[in-house]
Amino acid sequence: MKYGLKMFAGMLTVAMISACSSDSSSGGSSEDETIKVTTTIAQIGNAVEEIGGEHVEVVSLMGPGIDPHLYQATQSDLKKLQNAEVIFYNGLNLEGQMHEVFENMSDHTPTVAIGDTLPDDVLREDMEDDNKTDPHIWFDIEIWKTAISNITDTLSEEDPAHAEAYQQNEEAYFEELDELHDYAKEQTANIPENQRVLVTAHDAFNYFGNAYDMEVKGLQGLSTDAEYGLADIQDLVGTLVSKNIKAVFIESSVSEKSINAVIKGAEKQGHNVTIGGELYSDAMGEDGTEEGTYIGMYRHNVDTIVKALK
Amino acid sequence: MGYEAWILLTGSLVGISCGMIGCYLIVRRMVMLADAISHSVLLGIVLAFLVSQSLNSIYMLIGAAVIGLATTIFIQWLYASGVPEDASIGIVFTTLFAIGVILISLFAKDVHLDVNHALMGEIAFVPWNTIVIFGAEIPKATATLLGITVVTLLFIIGLYKELKITSFDAALALTIGLPVTFIHYLLMTMVSLTAVGSFDAVGAILVVAMFVVPGSCAYLLTDRLDAMLAISALVGVLSAVSGYYAALWWDVSISGSMAMMGGVIFLLTWIFSPRYGLISKWKKSSTPLKEQEG
Repeated sequence: MKYGLKMFAGMLTVAMISACSSDSSSGGSSEDETIKVTTTIAQIGNAVEEIGGEHVEVVSLMGPGIDPHLYQATQSDLKKLQNAEVIFYNGLNLEGQMHEVFENMSDHTPTVAIGDTLPDDVLREDMEDDNKTDPHIWFDIEIWKTAISNITDTLSEEDPAHAEAYQQNEEAYFEELDELHDYAKEQTANIPENQRVLVTAHDAFNYFGNAYDMEVKGLQGLSTDAEYGLADIQDLVGTLVSKNIKAVFIESSVSEKSINAVIKGAEKQGHNVTIGGELYSDAMGEDGTEEGTYIGMYRHNVDTIVKALK
Repeated sequence: MGYEAWILLTGSLVGISCGMIGCYLIVRRMVMLADAISHSVLLGIVLAFLVSQSLNSIYMLIGAAVIGLATTIFIQWLYASGVPEDASIGIVFTTLFAIGVILISLFAKDVHLDVNHALMGEIAFVPWNTIVIFGAEIPKATATLLGITVVTLLFIIGLYKELKITSFDAALALTIGLPVTFIHYLLMTMVSLTAVGSFDAVGAILVVAMFVVPGSCAYLLTDRLDAMLAISALVGVLSAVSGYYAALWWDVSISGSMAMMGGVIFLLTWIFSPRYGLISKWKKSSTPLKEQEG
């Protein structure tokens, strides 16, 4: 036993020494004037880029194709968090346990949950239960605008010298978003009223459906990790058949296996359903492509849905 | 201390506490207990949610700890009644997990409720989730794990003889009047507390790996329990430290890479262990019988 204890003490020393020697320089020193911003989802990162323009440097923890429900941190995320001068995240329980981390960090670094300041009446939720708030707020442009105006306020507070620029950028971006909203309204109006049912793998599109007067059915619950039951599949198949819906949609960050079960089920009842295409739900497209921006991704979704259901 | 230091320290503490407890599980053939608990805690968080109607992490942790404990107790019951160890582990955790899945679909379908979100921690975020203890600001997870490690050490040192005899020779333990069942349950309690506390701090994969791998390495290297415990803790620390730098090199998940380095260390041990390694076995079997006797 003595031998064991000695070794143990030696080992702890090794751990401590290696721990201390690795104490690298703490980042955050800004030679340049830009504000270093870290965001969780790329949708928020994109909005910060638009509003901050040349005065900010944005990195997102969850890049293209990463489902925030199933996000795994990598080593370089440490630096992104350490160097951040401002952190924006969605809130409304989208990032799970990370919320606790951000709340804790807010002592030294401004951390802003852009969704948490939204008034209750615009959020889709079960009024009795705060846990049932739908976090996918970026799918209603009006709500999203309110949410990202928090970015403008925070940046202006942190960097009053450029407050005017932020305000102008916001106005310009909001104009683009309004155009997008009008485009989406126009396009979705082309879908026959009895065909306005959006069937997807998980419940991400409730705000979208609300904004454009479409019924939304998801196979899984709000979280992509939830299990779906036999009744869920049958329920969906029933809707597809009775309303004669032409297409269902898969999502970039969710496996299409689940939705295939629904298609097979409808086939058995003599109703042919096709896959209408892939929608971006929780993750955006690759960086540098059209779908890698919020507007591009939104437009892609609208076009895909309209094309399949028209 | 910088953020790297906190992660290294936290990973090392997981290696030490889980590594040492894991030794006892290996000699009792119950090493997959930690993996079982990582699944059955789903039931714990669902029940905690249904009772509290909140996703507050304190309730989740309590629920997980209660079900973790229940898991070990049920397994011990089955085992004591004659079901083989591996089968009892399998039966208990799959059943509890399945009950959790069904309860979610029945009562909590619209809630953002899953184990990854509600319970499992992420070692990368450890440095930023701090509390103040005695005026010093230290990460919560590090504090938790420090506590767990101290309790583990006290437990092992305080009951060293009792644990040793009951683990290796239960019959002898009974004849000399040791409370064998009580010690079993005590060990199981330690396992579930260590597991759930570490899950909350650093996530499932790292904890399960640290329960299994360091002890297995030590098992191949020595026949003495005290040396096994020490080697196991050492391997735990080595996996954590080398894993951190591997994660830095490849820019990947830190806990995943710590667990992977554990696997690499095991592979090396398995090949090169002086007594039970592949090479020494191969040497022994290729030596002519006469020479071996002579």
